Order: sequence, then C-alpha cells, then structure tokens
Amino acid sequence: MIYQILKEAWISISAYKLRTFLTMLGILIGVAAVVMMVSAGQTVQNEITKTFDAMGTNLILIGPGETVKGGVRGGRGKPTVTFADMDSLKGLKDVEAVSYVVNTAVQAVFGANNYGVSVYGTTPDYLTVGNWEIEQGQMFTERDLKSGKPYVVIGQTVVNELFGLQNPVGKVIRLKSQPFTVIGVLKEKGDGMMGDDQDNIVLMPATTLRQRLHSGFRPDFANIGFVKAVSEDKMEAVANRIEYQLRARHRLKEGVDNDFSARLMTDMVEKVRNVGFILSALLAAIASISLVVGSIGIMNMMLVSVTERTREIGTRKALGAPNRWIMFQFLSESVLISFMGSFVGMIVGVVLSQIGGIILEKEVPISVWSVIISVAVAVVVGVVSGLMPALKAMKLDPIEALRYQ
Amino acid sequence: MTEKLQQSSDRHQIVIEVKNLCKTYFMAGGLSQNVLKNISFQIKNGEFVSIMGHSGSGKSTLMNILGCLDRPTSGDYFLDGENVAQKDDTALAHIRGEKIGFVFQNFNLLMKRTIADNVSLPLIYRNVGETERRERAVKMLQQVGLTGYEERLPTQISGGMQQRVAIARALINNPAILFADEPTGNLDTQTSDEIMRLFCQLNRQGITVVLVTHEDDVADYAPRMIKISDGRKEFDGLRADYVKTVQKEQK
Repeated sequence: MIYQILKEAWISISAYKLRTFLTMLGILIGVAAVVMMVSAGQTVQNEITKTFDAMGTNLILIGPGETVKGGVRGGRGKPTVTFADMDSLKGLKDVEAVSYVVNTAVQAVFGANNYGVSVYGTTPDYLTVGNWEIEQGQMFTERDLKSGKPYVVIGQTVVNELFGLQNPVGKVIRLKSQPFTVIGVLKEKGDGMMGDDQDNIVLMPATTLRQRLHSGFRPDFANIGFVKAVSEDKMEAVANRIEYQLRARHRLKEGVDNDFSARLMTDMVEKVRNVGFILSALLAAIASISLVVGSIGIMNMMLVSVTERTREIGTRKALGAPNRWIMFQFLSESVLISFMGSFVGMIVGVVLSQIGGIILEKEVPISVWSVIISVAVAVVVGVVSGLMPALKAMKLDPIEALRYQ
Repeated sequence: MTEKLQQSSDRHQIVIEVKNLCKTYFMAGGLSQNVLKNISFQIKNGEFVSIMGHSGSGKSTLMNILGCLDRPTSGDYFLDGENVAQKDDTALAHIRGEKIGFVFQNFNLLMKRTIADNVSLPLIYRNVGETERRERAVKMLQQVGLTGYEERLPTQISGGMQQRVAIARALINNPAILFADEPTGNLDTQTSDEIMRLFCQLNRQGITVVLVTHEDDVADYAPRMIKISDGRKEFDGLRADYVKTVQKEQK
C-alpha cells in the first residue's frame, strides 16, 4: 500500500514538473545553505583544534599575575616566575615535563643573508611541551643549559632564509653580533592560529639568551612557563599543586592574591572551541531561515494543489479511496518534494563547501551532520508543511468535491 | 468477466432495499429542509431502473445515499443484504470500492493520466498488483469498445469515448450495482444513444444499472422508473405504464 501511495504521489508531482521544481528549490537552497554553514563551522573548529594540538596538549601555562595598585588593575604585569621556580615544579606529582621561555626578536646573520627571527631561550624539554621534533642534528642538553653554551636549534624558515640549500648543522650564525653554533634543525610546523610563522624560530638555552642577548636585565625571570601533566584528567590536580608550590616559594600570605597565573590549556581550547561552535550554530540558524521560507513554499503549493484537484479528490473518494489514503497521498507528495529538495541540497552544499575548501586551501570535512540535517529536514518540513493541505484534502466531502467546478 | 457476472446474476436476489428513507438538511439559524420523505423501494439483481425528477426534487440526494456518498437522516438502506445506512466514512469508502460503480455526467477522469491508468484506478484502493490492474483494464476497455486506446490521455479522445472510459472504470471492480448520474448530460444525441445502448448491453449481461436523469429520451431505455417529486416517491413501476398514464392525462 505504501508503495502504491508513493507511486501515485510521484506521478502527481511529476505531472507538474516546473511547479514541483520551483517548490523544491526553496528547500534545496535552504539545506545547501545549512550544510555549507555547518561545514564552515566545522572547518573553523578543526583548524582551532589542529593549532592547539600543534602547541601541545595537557599543558598548564604559567605567567605573571595581575598587578593591583591602589585598586587599579593593571593586567598582567612583569614576569614574576623565576627559572628556579619552574625547576622546582619538576618534582611535583603527575608532572611529565617542565619548560619555560624567555624571548626576544633579533636579526640573524649568516654570510651575506640576514633575517628577523624570534629567539626563544628555553630548556631541552621545550620540545616535549611545544610538540616540536628535531629533523636534523640534536637539541641542546641540560648541561648546555647550565653552562650557557652558545648553541642554537633553528626552525625551517630560518634554514630557508639564511642557508638556502646548504646544510646548516655545524655552521655559525650571528645574533646581535655574537656567534652561535647551529646544532639542530626543527621539523616544520606551519602557520600558527594567528597566521604567524611558527617556523621562524631560534631556540637556545635560556641561560645563554639571558647572558648574551639580554645583558642588563635581571637574568632569571621566565616570560612564560610550561608544565605538562601526564594526562588530561590530572591537569586540575597538577594546577593546584603548582599554585601551592609557587605561593610557598613566593612567601604569599593567606588572603594575598597570586602574583602569578596558572592557566589550563584545555580550558582555553574549550573556550575557543565553544566560540567556534556558537559561531557555526549561529550561521546554521541564519541559514535555516531559508528552510522555513522553503517549507512555507511547499505548504502554499500543496494548498493550491488540493484546491485545484478538488474534483480529482472527489472522484478518488467515490471510487473507493478511504480518507486515510487521500491524506497519505498528499502528505507523500509534500514529503517527496521536500526529500528530493533536501537530497539535492545536501549534494549541492557538500560540493560547494568542498570547492570553497579548495579555493581557501583548507580541508573541509564532509560530516555525517549534513546527512542527518538533510534527512531530518526532509521529514520534518515535508510532514509539517504537508499536513494541513493533506488534512484539508482528507476532510473534503465527496459530494461537494464532485460538484466543484 | 461475463462469466462472473452471470454467476452473480440471480434475478430474484434483492440488491437494494430502502425503507422509510428520510434526509433532512439542517441549516444555520435552526432552519431545516426535508429533502427526502419516507422513501421505500427495492431493486432486484439485473434490473435497469431510472430515477427521474425535476431539479430540486431530491433525486440527486437519493442517488448520493444509494451510492454511499451520503448517509440518510433516518431509515434503512440494505445494499447486497447489508445495512449501510449509518456506517462510518471508512466503511462507506470500502463499500463504494467493492460494490458500487459510478458514472458521472462530467466523466471525472484524471486528465494527466492515461486511459488505462484511469480505468484501473479503483483497483489501487483494493491493493491489486500492477500487472493484474493492467490486464483487467485492457479487458474492460475491450468490453466498452476502446481497444488500442490504453496509452492515450483523456484529452486526446472524444466525449463519448471518455464516458466509455468512465464506464469501464466503474465496472472494473465487478460491482453489484452501477450508478449513472446524468451520464449523457454532456453528450450530443447520437453519442448519447451509443452510451445508452452500451448500458443496455451491460444490463443484458446481468449488471444492475440505476440511472438518474431528467431526460425522457434517456429514461426510455430503462424498463422500470422511479419518479421523485418534492422528496416523495411519486411513481414506481414500468416506464411504459407511466408514459401511457401521462399521455392519457394530456388528452
């Protein structure tokens, strides 16, 4: 019976091809828009996740605290966490690695080439916390750190800009006229979240940077510290231990605010992801307005159709069609139109978002959500917009309907 | 088909029996109108009956009730032995599909569907498979003399042919009774004769035919006549007797 109803419905809607197509178009555009918006949102979220993954997970970032002077909150102030503070965190439970960074930007020179680079004075564990890998050569050691050796490990951009095709390992570059020996090269990471070039980087022991590039500053403050927990669920606990440890070391009395901050990377990722999710939900909501318009179009068309086919309905009833049959036939017509519109809309949406991905050189995921959205829309829109016309057709009095001119 | 009809054509079996049939329309403001008043009669299997009356006489209402499109306000209506007077819509739809064939004044064919589709339409509601529908449609079309027109659209054939298609459609379910409501109203005289001769031919094959008309020429084809006037049965008997009486009165 269902097959018969669907077939009758199909024959009826295919009898009015242009009208059916135009009605379908509304749903098609709506679904395509929603699918594209969802794809766009997911792409943004994926990019964010990728960037954070590149920065390393399970990280707790330790920075300066807020300065408060006479009630005026000055934002994050000068560094307050020392190298020794950071080293003391290594012994805490559930801590996998600890590192910290002091940074500066200088001009790097090799032979006739020079290039502006970011210099990070750090520890060997920076590789672990920052998700870096050595491509060639090696990282400096704890011993190099202690003795302040003039060793550098450089990123791909620096290699390309200064050395071209030459092997940089063992060569000497100059930063602020001082010689540093390249002992390793980092694997390429690509652009960061803000579009910054993460590979334009020179790593050296933190002590070396303080002594050779920062002479004049107090030498032992870290701009930012990194603590990597053994797992994501241990991060809260580790953060609490860090706070306890640092408060003790800074001799902060009870009631006094922290002069440092410990932020969980997961919290930040979550926040940014939430923003991404809200963004895509908002886009999808706006796109779905066109779905509402499309479904009103179907309802309108079906109402016209019922009126136009009053005699047909009367005839069908006189020939033995039960009321239910008539209702399901008209309901099937609107569901079919909506289904076809959604299906084609889904394909159009996926294709257009892939084309967009190619143009913007981003990987756009084809998500199951597009399928779920399309099917849900097809059923909901079809039934909702078809129900009133179908009930109208069902309730027609066969005598009146047969008399209708 | 013919075989089956002959099997069922027990000449003495009563197909339709109405007892004290009344129909009152209730209108806004407490007004009501008695359209049918205490009508009773029987129609036996294989009869050819015309129901006559002027417009407004109530004959269409009677026809709608007999055709199970409407329910009487009071009284009983036995169709094929079953009291259908107060059945619900679904039951009536089922009865229409199973026992009744309709032929309308304006044919009421589905204009976008082929002749074969139109003829087999009632079978859809009885869950008959596509192949069987097609076979039966072809046979019915042969019976009304329209072999070879299966794939045409109603718009591509004449009015007389369209009415033949409608008759084929009405007969495809092997109904107990065939109702024709002014079947020649939209046709010219010559075509009307053809259609009426087709009804006579079908009647001879054993099909019970009830014809609603206001035209004497058309009523002449049916041996028996029921005349409705102002909602009452004014005459029920042989058409020939009625004609004689009228002629006498006129003299």
